[in-house]
Amino acid sequence: MAEVSDSEPPKSETSQVQEPASDFDPKTMRKTKPGLKRLVLTLSVLFSFVLGFPFLWKTVEIYRAPLPFREVESLSAQLDSSPLLFPCHFQAIFLGFNSKSSITSSAIDDLQVSIINQMTKFTPQTPQCGTCSTNYTVSVVVESDSQCLQSQGSKSSSPWKCGSMAAVDFDSDDDDAIDDSLESVFGGWSEVASAGKVYTVVWVRRDDEVRAVVGKYRHAWISGRVSEAAAAASRMAEIFVKVFVNGGKEEGLIHEEFMPVGADGRIVLSFNLLNAEPRDWIYDWDFQDVDENLLSPVIEALEPIANITVESQVLYHTPKSSFSYWDDKLGSYIFSTKDLPFFVNSNEWHLDTSIAAGGRSKILHFVVYIPSSKECPLLLRLPDGEISKTNGFISPKWGGIIVWNPKGCGKNSGIEHPFRHTISHQDLQKVFEVFTGQFRQLFGLKSDNVYIGSSGTSSLLASERGFTVWELDVLSRQHTCSSLHSCATTLGSLSRLVQSLPRMIIMDEIGKQVKFSLDEAKLAQINASLGVYDASAVSSRQARSLAEEAFFHPSIMSVSYYSFEHCFAVYSPFFLPVSMHVLLAALREWRRYKHENRKYLAWKSKAVS
Amino acid sequence: MAVLPFRRVFVFFFILCFSLFYASVALGSGIDDEEFSEELLLRPLPDRKVLSHFQFRSRAPPNSSNGRHHHLFPKAISQLVQKFRLKEMELSFTQGRWNYDLWGGFDPISSNNAKPPGVELWAVFDVPQHHVDSSWKNLTHALSGLFCASINFLESSTTYSAPDWGFRPASGRLRYGTLPREAVCTENLTPWLKLLPCRDKAGVAALMDRPSIYKGFYHSQRLHLTSTEFDSDDVDSGIVLEQTLTVVLQTNGKKAVLTSQETKLQPSWSLTTMFGRKINGRCVLAKSSNVYLQLDRGLVAVLNNLQKENEISAPGNLAYEASRSNHGFELSVKPDRVLEEAESQGKNPSVLYEFAVGKYSNSESFDLGLTWKLPVVWSCQQAPLSASRFLMGSGNERGAIAISWKSSQLSQQLLHPDVIEENCKLQVNVFQVVPWYIKVYYHTLQVFVDERLEAVSDIVEKIRVSPSEDKVSPGVMEMILKFPCGMKSAAITLEFDKGFLHIDEYPPDANQGFDIPSALISYPNFHASIQFVEDKSLDKSPILAKFQEKSSVRSYTEVLLVPLTTPDFSMPYNVITITCTVFALYFGSLLNVLRRRVGEEERLLKSKAAKKTGQLPQLLLKLSAKLRGRSLETPQSSSTSSSFVSSKLILKVILVAGLAVAWQFYFAS
Repeated sequence: MAEVSDSEPPKSETSQVQEPASDFDPKTMRKTKPGLKRLVLTLSVLFSFVLGFPFLWKTVEIYRAPLPFREVESLSAQLDSSPLLFPCHFQAIFLGFNSKSSITSSAIDDLQVSIINQMTKFTPQTPQCGTCSTNYTVSVVVESDSQCLQSQGSKSSSPWKCGSMAAVDFDSDDDDAIDDSLESVFGGWSEVASAGKVYTVVWVRRDDEVRAVVGKYRHAWISGRVSEAAAAASRMAEIFVKVFVNGGKEEGLIHEEFMPVGADGRIVLSFNLLNAEPRDWIYDWDFQDVDENLLSPVIEALEPIANITVESQVLYHTPKSSFSYWDDKLGSYIFSTKDLPFFVNSNEWHLDTSIAAGGRSKILHFVVYIPSSKECPLLLRLPDGEISKTNGFISPKWGGIIVWNPKGCGKNSGIEHPFRHTISHQDLQKVFEVFTGQFRQLFGLKSDNVYIGSSGTSSLLASERGFTVWELDVLSRQHTCSSLHSCATTLGSLSRLVQSLPRMIIMDEIGKQVKFSLDEAKLAQINASLGVYDASAVSSRQARSLAEEAFFHPSIMSVSYYSFEHCFAVYSPFFLPVSMHVLLAALREWRRYKHENRKYLAWKSKAVS
Repeated sequence: MAVLPFRRVFVFFFILCFSLFYASVALGSGIDDEEFSEELLLRPLPDRKVLSHFQFRSRAPPNSSNGRHHHLFPKAISQLVQKFRLKEMELSFTQGRWNYDLWGGFDPISSNNAKPPGVELWAVFDVPQHHVDSSWKNLTHALSGLFCASINFLESSTTYSAPDWGFRPASGRLRYGTLPREAVCTENLTPWLKLLPCRDKAGVAALMDRPSIYKGFYHSQRLHLTSTEFDSDDVDSGIVLEQTLTVVLQTNGKKAVLTSQETKLQPSWSLTTMFGRKINGRCVLAKSSNVYLQLDRGLVAVLNNLQKENEISAPGNLAYEASRSNHGFELSVKPDRVLEEAESQGKNPSVLYEFAVGKYSNSESFDLGLTWKLPVVWSCQQAPLSASRFLMGSGNERGAIAISWKSSQLSQQLLHPDVIEENCKLQVNVFQVVPWYIKVYYHTLQVFVDERLEAVSDIVEKIRVSPSEDKVSPGVMEMILKFPCGMKSAAITLEFDKGFLHIDEYPPDANQGFDIPSALISYPNFHASIQFVEDKSLDKSPILAKFQEKSSVRSYTEVLLVPLTTPDFSMPYNVITITCTVFALYFGSLLNVLRRRVGEEERLLKSKAAKKTGQLPQLLLKLSAKLRGRSLETPQSSSTSSSFVSSKLILKVILVAGLAVAWQFYFAS
């Protein structure tokens, strides 16, 4: 090209010399229209390159399944702004109020309003996730010998039959019997009332002291005299809100949202019997028996919340990692609470993770520690100087430890060949009662059976299954909530990660899992608002496990991803030189065409003139 | 000679009976079907080394009686058995190679516990045939987590094989895999120790001082489990877990004074000099806890000869009569029991001294020492043939694998009675797994006996070959060979081509070469078992039971190192660059050709030719004029042309500079 343009001037020169008289100046004019062939050619090559570029980009593009980023964000925003709340129904029943003046239905409505007001007073300002929605529905029933009145608007929701309470003998001393007979009365209701659970408090009029008992099912009863309606309303409202809705737990004991359930909805309870020094004594246990008799009811009770498996082992030569000191007054070795973080000896305690458990199961360790004769009996001292009654402690998210001192320890030290003992059934039962308490604590429930409220003390009946029905309701609500929260956080992290790494491959499967997880989360929210506990728990669990699966998908875990530098290094050796050629050629042809065209136009104008 | 040991044995028997009775009362309550026993076998080796063989055996009763809760048996193992439905499994971690010539090849330890270097894993599953592979894959992952090793590399189907009958009889549910290059160290030992109830806190295992163990010449840590849980017909004996650690150690004998006579003397040793530790009592959970000292047949023969000489020279010395073995050496601890081999082929039976560890404690620790008094030279019993494997050929293209056998002196003795028969045959089984990138041509199998080429069909009795499939499965060869008894040496050769791997498949240190796992050579007609005379009433100790097991003599060959062609790993980029440059050149010139105006150029040339003589002379004229410093005839035009040229040049320079700046700006950051 350059040669051509270079050699052009001489030609024009010669022609100038040839025809000096003529008007035609070859340098600035030409007679023919300049050809478009080459221009079209180079431009078409250029355009095909430009057009081909998106295709190339498409082929080198790594595959990223589209993720619903906006929906993920909206889910977490939604959970943050409006916590998951379940509809709950409450029922207050007053029995044996044979007042002289007959009770009007307006008085009952007043009572209903006052209970609702008291309940809202007990509810915290910001609604906790996994509790009941704040617009409580309370139905009030007052039954006496002569009449039976029911508050308005509640007739539809509670199928109360007047006189059905006659069968219950509230004067009995046996609380369990009362509880069971109440259950036989109320039992059928939960199926009838489709939306949410109905919690009932029965006030039985007696002339002695006020005594409140919360049963194993979804009801409580109070017996005693009623001084004034407001006090009774407040008392009932407290049981409703603090016990039935919040699970009777102290505020801030364990973080609300935490549930020790694995991402796949499984818990592995690993029970370990540690013989610190088998040279002194060896203790063994009959765990098979414990498993069958003591643990299986608890596991069965927790079925709706988590799938629990149990395993056990006996370990030897497992000293604790911190020292205790001798206390003369107590005649025992004391381990103070401030040293507790150093009790667990992770070097010597091989509390293995289980092979039987799946990858994302939660493992809770429960340890019975039998001290050596050198530090027996070993007691734990609380910060206030008291000796721990259970002689055990929990570590949230990890499990619980009990120090079990063998009987008559310290006496038979120095025996060369130790005997093998088996922990007696009674001792084992005690130990496992403590474990059940610890297990309840790990779930954030109270381990003792008394609830002390602002308006009086209520005793809570303990279930032989470890968890009462209303506690399970609380756990189920919380579990749904915490699963949804963790699902939202996991999906949020995933979307942030994906957005921050633009050249990471994202498989279709991940996209599907995220989508299904979001669907399940939505379903859980809908079910929760309708009060279908089980279905919402199931779908929230599903949502969480899908989210975790997406996050821990092996393709995301892989380190290598197709970097931009690599792409550049592969394609630049071809495209850089070729694009130079194409661009320059197009540019030159274009310029030449313009130049020649101008010449032609100049000639034309001259010819015309 | 006979009276005194008998009395001692009797007393010991009484004590043992009493203690057993005592123990059974103490244990009681029927939960103690789970057993654990620990044993240590020591054996002096001819080359001034000592073999220490730790054996731990845990037994769990069948599932039905005790559920899934265990008291002694490791939870991890029982879960492993339950989850993968294992019938039998063996996992070994080995470092170093068992020296079959020096350390013996015909005793239970060498044939059961000498393992190929690296990791060897085989397992028999009790699952339907089509689930075996997935079970194996999951098992490798579980084990690699359990033992902190890269056993998970055995997951890929190129690394494991399914032997039919060459490895051991198994109905297709056996999988076998090795990792010859796995480094074995203390991080593998710690999880292994975790499976013992006392770990290394008490008992025999307390001797395992990591530096001394890993300083040894050979180190093999093995885990073998058999489970009868899923057998319906067999006697249900539960899960038996056998853990052994075999180490060959150099004795740290004092080299202070070495006279010419003492150098011939075997070095004296004790537990302290070898391990730097003593045994402070047994593991209280062990049912039996014993230390054995074994003198093999060769050594006993030498000692007996020495004694005979001595008796001739000093016939009156009765002190030696008490315990004849005390003649050539001295033990620091009196053995509790002396066991003799029941029926040995030769006259000299192997001798086993038993020491019960139970009576020792922290205050009185057990430190067995052996002091040689006379120089002895002996050799261990060899396998019938000593096998070795090597590579032939050179270059990166092809080669050949050869396995050669040499008959040992001992085998001729062993075979002696059979030699009389005309058609005496020596059966040898070969099991060899070859990775797929070594493409073995099995039809090139050649058999040489006494350096003469023999027809394959004469020697090879049975052969099963599953050829390798590229990137899918390794090549497996199982063979039964029958050699004539009287032969001196034999060899088989197989030719192979070296394959090419994909660039992703090369390990980080590809230039080191690739390992071909050891081949297993077994002699099914020879059984390595030692039968010791024992009191029938006593429970057999597991190690003695192991000695009595009739297992065929086996030996592993060397691992072969094959250098493969390793590419230059930057090659792909080089190839890309050069191809792209060629393409770019082609493309650019094509574009230029398309754009050329041939007609115009020709016209130009023609007009020039008409005007002047030609372009070249004109150019030369211009050049000479320039050189001479004179102005040209056409000063005007030249100036215009030069200015035109210079402006173009400047434009180009600016373009390139701009591109360079843009490049710097966008890509240097």
